[in-house]
Amino acid sequence: MLWLLAAEFRKLVRPLVWGTALVMVAFCLLITWAAAHNARAGLASPRIPDICAKAATAQCGQVIAHAHGAARAAAAATGQLAQPGEVGHVAAGMLASLPGLLLIAMIAGGHWGGEWGSRTIRQLLCREGRRGRVLVAKWLSIWVAGVATLLACWLVLALAAPGVAAASGLPAVHSALWAGLGSSASSAGRAVVVLGMFAAVGTAAGTIGRGQLATTAVTAGSMLLALLVAGIASIGQLSPASFVQGWMGFEPAGYLPTNFWSRFVSGGHVGQLAGLAGVLVTAAVAAAIARWRFATDVTA
Amino acid sequence: MDVISCERLTKRFGVTVAVSELDLDVSAGQIYGFLGPNGAGKTTTIRMLLGLIAPTEGQIRLLGRPLPDPRAVAQTGSMIEEPAFYPWLTGRQNLQVLAAEGGGCAASEFGRVLEGSGLSDVAGRKVRAYSQGMRQRLGLAAAMLGRPPLLIIDEPTNGLDPAGIREIRGLLRDLAADGTTVFMSSHLLAEVEQVCDRVAVIVRGRVVEEGAPAGLGAIRRRIRVQVDAADIEAAGRLLARWQSRQLDGTFLVEHDSGRDVNAALAAGGVIADSVAAELPRLEDRFLEIVKEEDAHAVAAGG
Repeated sequence: MLWLLAAEFRKLVRPLVWGTALVMVAFCLLITWAAAHNARAGLASPRIPDICAKAATAQCGQVIAHAHGAARAAAAATGQLAQPGEVGHVAAGMLASLPGLLLIAMIAGGHWGGEWGSRTIRQLLCREGRRGRVLVAKWLSIWVAGVATLLACWLVLALAAPGVAAASGLPAVHSALWAGLGSSASSAGRAVVVLGMFAAVGTAAGTIGRGQLATTAVTAGSMLLALLVAGIASIGQLSPASFVQGWMGFEPAGYLPTNFWSRFVSGGHVGQLAGLAGVLVTAAVAAAIARWRFATDVTA
Repeated sequence: MDVISCERLTKRFGVTVAVSELDLDVSAGQIYGFLGPNGAGKTTTIRMLLGLIAPTEGQIRLLGRPLPDPRAVAQTGSMIEEPAFYPWLTGRQNLQVLAAEGGGCAASEFGRVLEGSGLSDVAGRKVRAYSQGMRQRLGLAAAMLGRPPLLIIDEPTNGLDPAGIREIRGLLRDLAADGTTVFMSSHLLAEVEQVCDRVAVIVRGRVVEEGAPAGLGAIRRRIRVQVDAADIEAAGRLLARWQSRQLDGTFLVEHDSGRDVNAALAAGGVIADSVAAELPRLEDRFLEIVKEEDAHAVAAGG
């Protein structure tokens, strides 16, 4: 099994995987830069209702003061979130939501679906006929690629985000650089579980799609469907997307978003433990589908 | 000992019978040729031998183990149809990945198989830059990794130039001399004739002939007789006791004695211009077999 895993990791070292991971890291950086820029703009010109913009009533004075206070708080929160310890929330949230799903879909497509596209699946199965092992090795390698990208995102953000915040003119942060590290690590740990589920869905999608594009489409499409279902009040709680929301505990975003998920999930609240159970059950169902599909003739 | 043993092997895809009650025994150390026209069931049989698809009926024993058994397949070197590789890796890296997928092998193996397949000089080049012939050689190199006791290879000389074909022929002979059993399918019948110890011909999913290439089925010597144009009619009458074909004064008589044929002509007053015995090539016999089977199938309404 270790030999097989070594082979899978060796195959991951390819332009598609590096490129996708780099795009992900660049996306996290871009989001941070845009958030810092928006926070600075908000600080310079807070959102003041038109009616108070020219009026000099006492009530408007309070509204204007409140708007300035809110802008300062938002800018401070953005500056705080851009610190090395806290910014792990951003990396974890991005990887455990839509961007992470797309990353896993791309990797699953190239790394797993591509075995059919390049017709190397026959050679692989002639070398290792124990198909359960092949599935586990594929799932683990896709998962590890996702986790490695999460760590890379966090590392790059930890190095660059404070500089981005300072260069944007956000208020200086007086807490320690590594404040919030524990909370970020906890968030990253939860994201690792979600990435495992995404990887399981990607592995099952490979056995269904049997091609690079089809695997990417089935992986992304199935979870996007789950997001759509999560928005339906009557059944939303049963959607895997709601399980992810419950487990990750995504909160509404400020200037610097910590996920691209919660805004689509409105079908009802799922607790954290129920969310974890749901995520694990979803992964188990995906594994069962993969096992069933992969037991048939997959080399025709 | 039989390295491959198939008993009443059958594979159906819906109502289509791809392989029908196929019996096959391949002994250790043999180079065994598996011949058949396109769609005859060769690749389906090979895919069943390698555990890629399960037979509908029948049994396979590979290296003494009944299939399905991943251990038996893992000990078999294989190359199916056009070999496929990971284009972003070099030739050597592809071999390393394939070896790891099969549980690893000694580092010295890569040099050995690259040398054996003539790819040492280009082993560090990305496979996407390989020609079809180089990919074919790399496929053979991959099949030889770890010195498997059995090689199952599909069209091993596909895409190779004449020098390459000769090298591969020598390589297969060397492998057989070292005790490796080679089971190969091929369309190049002249190659099969030169390399294989035994051949089986599969048509419409059934083995219709099996044996040494030189004595395949009903192969017999036949006599080529040339007579003067004025004697064609008389010669046809005199040779009617044997099955024969005639074209422009040349008769091909299905008999193994030139003396008998010549005597029959002489007794009837016909002097032949030439009488020569010839052994039909495997290719001729193969085409005859396929033609006969097609004729039977048409007669049977199939």
